[in-house]
Amino acid sequence: MSGSGIGSDIGTRRTAVTGIGVIAPNGLHTDTYWKSVKEGASVLDRVTREGCEHLPLRVAGEVRGFDPSALIEETFLVQTDKFTHFALAAADAALQDAGLSSSAADSPYSVGVVTAAGSGGGEFGQRELQKLWGQGSRFVGPYQSIAWFYAASTGQISIRKGFKGPCGVVASDEAGGLDAIAHAAQAVQRGTEVVVVGAAEAPLAPYSGVCQLGYRELSTVEDPARAYRPFTSAACGFVPAEGGAVLVVEDLDRARRRGATVRATVAGHAATFTGASRWDRSRDGLAHAIRGALDEAGCAPEEIDVVFADAMGVPEADRAEALALADALGPYGTKVPVTAPKTGIGRSYCGAPLLDVAAAVLAMEHGQIPPTPGVFDICHDIDLVTSTARPAELRTALVLSRGLMGSNSALVLRGAAPEGR
Amino acid sequence: MTTQVTQVTVEELATLMKKGAGVTVDPRDLASRADAPFAEFGLDSLGLLGIVGELENRHGQALPTDAERCKSPRAFLDLVNGALTTGA
Repeated sequence: MSGSGIGSDIGTRRTAVTGIGVIAPNGLHTDTYWKSVKEGASVLDRVTREGCEHLPLRVAGEVRGFDPSALIEETFLVQTDKFTHFALAAADAALQDAGLSSSAADSPYSVGVVTAAGSGGGEFGQRELQKLWGQGSRFVGPYQSIAWFYAASTGQISIRKGFKGPCGVVASDEAGGLDAIAHAAQAVQRGTEVVVVGAAEAPLAPYSGVCQLGYRELSTVEDPARAYRPFTSAACGFVPAEGGAVLVVEDLDRARRRGATVRATVAGHAATFTGASRWDRSRDGLAHAIRGALDEAGCAPEEIDVVFADAMGVPEADRAEALALADALGPYGTKVPVTAPKTGIGRSYCGAPLLDVAAAVLAMEHGQIPPTPGVFDICHDIDLVTSTARPAELRTALVLSRGLMGSNSALVLRGAAPEGR
Repeated sequence: MTTQVTQVTVEELATLMKKGAGVTVDPRDLASRADAPFAEFGLDSLGLLGIVGELENRHGQALPTDAERCKSPRAFLDLVNGALTTGA
């Protein structure tokens, strides 16, 4: 359990979100991502990556049309995997959105970087391991030592931008994407002015694909329209995806002083662990995380205007999530609007909750709850938003995430109050 | 038995820097600033290590461990070509 007071108003700094950068299967820019999410479009499709054709993993959310060489210097490209390319591009977009693309702060030591990673650079690693076993150890390139490492994206963002503040990597399962934001908020609490925080993943390559085949929660359905349908009786697992998002978070007062647009504030977070694939237990773990996040945010259940669900797509896990909402929010748990835009794009592991956080901020800004693409006939007692976006005044959002290895996290975001803009 | 000596040229080093580390450098610039640190050209220590490995594979012989610690193009080429000449 965390309990660090990231959202507390009492004698502490508050953490504002001032920048968002998105690289997603349904959009390479935040605007196009939101347009697709709001419309409830699904971009799930057959896996087309070379070397993956024979795998029983048939459907995924691929990031298509992404040209890293147009965005990132060759010196960085040669020593990084695709998951880092996504992170570098998203970080650039987030910094630009925050108005910090040229100079992020007075001192390089006042800017930190935190990323979460679920699998590191699998494609790069596979290439070098093939050289190791095909040609010998002398043919393995030196950048193997850093490129497939979980920490690669944090390191490369900080090196490329010259950020020398507190840096970290959260490796705590898919839910680590939310934990990374809490970690960044804590760094702001401790005095770091700005933290670049996010997660992006690239799990669609042969080696990475094979690694996922062991997950019994993985959907192997061949029809993209039927492969990922959480909260329905047809739920058959989850669909993986590429991409993610990066945020710029900073001290709220500093953001206001410099005239930045405050897009949201990070109000509360909590995390629990209930064991790998123990979805029955995740009910209690997730409810506990929700209560902890609400406590930290000083938020009553009825203040939550929308829930971005984890939506694992496994009947037992979906049931646990629906019941966790009821456990934590009481009677309001069946009334609060719930959505899961990820059914249209897949789950990019640690990147998935980051994309949900981006969608939550955008939803609050636009007053629209995006729908859950491709999901109808809900078989749980929750108010899942389907088909089309639902207009609503949104002040507070709850984002949930679980990982296959047993992590459960909840994050409360507050929209930018008028005086905060 | 005669030793086939292949000198590593500035042009070859520039090509290796591009291929191995993504560093674009004009060979003439590399030659005229041969005593400047590799860092000034944008080559880091892992990049140089990769170039050493590539040369070892091409020439089928190990290079001195000092090769990857050379600070400048001149120091590197002198050491490498010296080693290739003597077959050390």
